[in-house]
Amino acid sequence: MNARQFASDETLAGFASGRLDEGMALVVAAHVEMNRDSARALREIEAIGGGVLARGEAVPMLTSAEDALARIEETADIAAAPSQPPRDGGLPRVLAPYELGKWRPIGRGVAMRRVHVPGAEARVFMLRAAPGTWLPEHRHTGNEWTTILSGAYEHEYGRFGRGDFDEANEDHEHHPHVDAVEGCTCIVALTGEVRFKGWLGRMLQPLVRL
Amino acid sequence: MFATPETGLTRRTPVNAGVRRGSNTVPMDADALVQAIASSADRQAFARLFDHFAPRVKGLLMRGGTPADLAEELAQETLMTVWRKAALFDPTKAGAGTWIATIARNLRIDHARREKRVRLSRVFEILEEESPEQPDQVVSGSERDARVRDALTSLSKDQYKVVELAFLEGFSHQDVATRLSIPLGTVKSRLRLAMAHLRRHLEDLR
Repeated sequence: MNARQFASDETLAGFASGRLDEGMALVVAAHVEMNRDSARALREIEAIGGGVLARGEAVPMLTSAEDALARIEETADIAAAPSQPPRDGGLPRVLAPYELGKWRPIGRGVAMRRVHVPGAEARVFMLRAAPGTWLPEHRHTGNEWTTILSGAYEHEYGRFGRGDFDEANEDHEHHPHVDAVEGCTCIVALTGEVRFKGWLGRMLQPLVRL
Repeated sequence: MFATPETGLTRRTPVNAGVRRGSNTVPMDADALVQAIASSADRQAFARLFDHFAPRVKGLLMRGGTPADLAEELAQETLMTVWRKAALFDPTKAGAGTWIATIARNLRIDHARREKRVRLSRVFEILEEESPEQPDQVVSGSERDARVRDALTSLSKDQYKVVELAFLEGFSHQDVATRLSIPLGTVKSRLRLAMAHLRRHLEDLR
């Protein structure tokens, strides 16, 4: 049951409603962009939102369609929609609005890159690990959500490849092993505390707490 | 198990079924109205969409805790966005009702976090622009919407409430349990049954 490589309905619903923390939401968005099943599940959940809107009680408006048209004409010049951001070296498009830090090595085949999400509770970063690396064993006091951008890793709860979503909560203690051939690049959002074990963990500790 | 509540049919809001005009019921095709705005800046089409959807968006926002003044403002902005982005409306992705609900959601996000310079609504726009429908997936979004609306009418009142809080408001299962003062297990089982029911209605569309 634990080995699910896609976002749960609960997670997708939190995402679809806009209620999720922006950092966590960004990692879900990367997964939805890369995974067709979750994209479809999201559209179904949005359709439920549309259905609830259609059935819901109406509250009379104080303003009319004419008022809205008048305001539209007033602001017609600033109506241009933003253009689709270009893909940046295989990064998910949903990352385009965010500022990314530089890749920096943090030891033994692992590099990290911060994703700046102003105002988010979660810390968001990308990790790139060389083929065959063992990431430090750790457990959580909060949530750790991961979307695999390329390559794969495996741990106690299953194997996670490109586009997969790994939803770990405080009950999880895991020790990911990176694919021996492809390596792995992923984007991670963390809330709460992460407790690492071992030397690499001690190096990561101050970084993920920033 | 999925007993139709006695209010099921009478409470149903006739989006595509018709709008009342005096004593007449004029069929309303919301998708076509959005497309009329896109193709010919049709102000009458806009007025019909506004009259139908703006009060519902306002009601939806108020049920979610938005104060009336702000709900009015966001409902107006939602319909203004419908006018501006009508050309981007793609009925293969979602029907007009769902599209409008997502616009309202994005505006609510923008407003709630304006001071934090939030980018999340942009993320939703990118996801929507993303993924041109696959050839084997040419499902009409409007058809999906209609099926979902049908399925919603046959949920029990209790199931509907849980679906609304979990899927529209986006509360965690634990928060839904707390708000309704029912056990977490009950929330989970109602949602599981409701989702199975909704997905059965969509099965052949997949």
